[in-house]
Amino acid sequence: MTQGLVYLAMWRRTLSTNHRCLGCRGGGLLKRVWSAHSRLVSGAPALPADRITALQAADLWRTRFEEEGVTEPEESSRYIIAHVLGAKTMESVEPERLTEHLSRGKTEQVWQLCTRRLSRMPVQYVIEEWDFRDLTLKLRPPVFIPRPETEELVELVLTDLRRKSGPGVGSESGQTCVEVGCGSGAISLSLLKSLPQLRVFALDRSQDAVDLTGENASRLGLRDRLQIYQADVMKNAESVLSLCGSASALVSNPPYLFSEDMASLEPEIYRYEDPAALDGGEDGLNVIKQILTLAPLVLSDQG
Amino acid sequence: MAYRRLLSLLQRRGEVIPHFQQKPQHINHTFPEHTNHLYHRSQRAIHSGTPLMVKLLSVDELFARSSLQEHLKQIEKEYNECLHVVSGNVTEDERRDDEMRTKWTKVSLLAPLIQTIRELDKKQKEITQTEILLKDEDPAMRELAEMEREGCLQDIQDLRQKILDLLITDEEADMSDLVLEITAGVGGQEAMLFTSEIFDMYQSFAQHHGWSFEILDHMASDLGGLRHASASISGPQSYKKMKFEAGVHRVQRVPKTEKQGRMHTSTMTVAVLPQPTEISFTINSKDLRIETKRASGAGGQHVNTTDSAVRIVHLPTGVVAECQQERSQLKNREKAMKALRAKLYSMKLEDEISKRYNQRKIQIGTKGRSEKIRTYNFAQDRVTDHRIGMTVHDVKSFLLGEDLLDQMNSSLQEFSSQEAIMELLGKSNQEGS
Repeated sequence: MTQGLVYLAMWRRTLSTNHRCLGCRGGGLLKRVWSAHSRLVSGAPALPADRITALQAADLWRTRFEEEGVTEPEESSRYIIAHVLGAKTMESVEPERLTEHLSRGKTEQVWQLCTRRLSRMPVQYVIEEWDFRDLTLKLRPPVFIPRPETEELVELVLTDLRRKSGPGVGSESGQTCVEVGCGSGAISLSLLKSLPQLRVFALDRSQDAVDLTGENASRLGLRDRLQIYQADVMKNAESVLSLCGSASALVSNPPYLFSEDMASLEPEIYRYEDPAALDGGEDGLNVIKQILTLAPLVLSDQG
Repeated sequence: MAYRRLLSLLQRRGEVIPHFQQKPQHINHTFPEHTNHLYHRSQRAIHSGTPLMVKLLSVDELFARSSLQEHLKQIEKEYNECLHVVSGNVTEDERRDDEMRTKWTKVSLLAPLIQTIRELDKKQKEITQTEILLKDEDPAMRELAEMEREGCLQDIQDLRQKILDLLITDEEADMSDLVLEITAGVGGQEAMLFTSEIFDMYQSFAQHHGWSFEILDHMASDLGGLRHASASISGPQSYKKMKFEAGVHRVQRVPKTEKQGRMHTSTMTVAVLPQPTEISFTINSKDLRIETKRASGAGGQHVNTTDSAVRIVHLPTGVVAECQQERSQLKNREKAMKALRAKLYSMKLEDEISKRYNQRKIQIGTKGRSEKIRTYNFAQDRVTDHRIGMTVHDVKSFLLGEDLLDQMNSSLQEFSSQEAIMELLGKSNQEGS
């Protein structure tokens, strides 16, 4: 008998179509713009003639974002400017630096990055990185941006894997975990970072995701306990099974949105993120069903 | 109130002067640096304009007090009684079980102290013997006796210090880490600038002691000052030292923002909240409301949010903690939780602490927000602590958070220990009468 440990991220909510997205769907469904430069952005403010401080720049861009209906205007401008100053948040920048004048180079960088944000590129793609738990991950379109809820999913998996391995030394040495749809590698890398004995097989159907997970793993020094494969659980179920049999746990944040809701997503998401990471089919369960079918075969008897 | 009590305690020293005069050489011999130090300090204190009300007593002076001697005798008597009971000289029927257990605990608690007291007695007898040898005719013998006496004196000194340390029991919170909270007070932008300098000072102080310093919350003002900030500090003795820093700090200087060169007085407040360990203090998760962006509606794959700020409300008390220092929501939640725990724990401790320390001059513990504890005067280049009337010079070096701050902090600690002993003696005197 197999008692499966399968972790699936779910956030059930029926999206009403009139939610958000004020008139931003004019360009038709799933119109995706990969590069901000290819799209003409109306009204990016001109570079200031005089030198300005970080706080003034943050204020100026917040107002600009507000006018253009960009979501989270204040956060966006603050995160981007903090990034240019080499920090994660404005709160963690030394206060004196916020009131100093920005160099010409830094001002240009702020203008360049904020202009990208004006075209609704998510902040995480604009600054090309974001934090997930205690990791800083490299991010780039169209690989799915990890959501805060997934941090909690990892917490659950960690608690269970720790309990199963018990307190004995070396007893977790045999533990393996499979992740379906690894994206940027957020889940797999967090698990590897917290459990020094664990080994992980990470799969994704997209080559972009496979590459990015590999890059992140190398940067974080976790590459040696991670195997990454480009595989689609929907199409090549058999090769998936042959690659990674008998795992202790299977974890995934599969696409779970209803196809009909895809149209009503914010431009940040539908223009930049891979729809395959979001669209779960008519009932949102396409991939989920497939994973649950495969789970008993992938998991070991103790899994 | 506290002043008066302390003074009356000091006046009582008159009773013990004969005892004191028996061994004046001890003081000269073993404490030349110390006396010097005291002299130096009172010299400097003149700048502050307030007379030095109290001075730190040396170990010898404390031991010369009859009240301390009586207190020690009292403890020894108590120990002997308990020992008598638990060693079975009284038939078991006469004593109930739990009473026996209390006596046992008492015996084991007092044992190290009693042992040290006995060692001290032994050494004191030895010294009387060597003093006879000092009058010997043989110069070699006299030299030997002199050396032996020196050794004995050193041992006595160490034993006395040990007894004092054993008399002062650590607070429960002394073992914990802490959350430092600083807030700008009166004085607008200048107060905020000063607050920022003080925050840096404590950050260096933590580094100086090898403690970890994690910023939980940091609200800067437009001109590079600091409205409010908090940080979690952990490391050996961190709370034990930092608790003396809580209170109102005052700065007197010509602010950078001042055009006419006038001197301003501004203030900022330091609060030091002991950070409880998971085991010693639990919060029921049902009592918490955790507010994040997600709570407002959509979440998961439907939205992409960068708003990772977390706000936690403790419903029964209405205490709130927030954090937006991190990009990860989970890390913000951990930090906010840390701050919340510290706040709740300090509220819990505040009651008992305020009861216990009401009478003391150095307001230890959670807040002590109202009392002005220290002045940083730039024109006279001095820092004065008003609780012990101590002044040190070189404000710039003091603000580096290294040796000068450490020196002042140690004096506060010594002073506080002494107050604790005085309080103990005062209590036992009252019981005796």
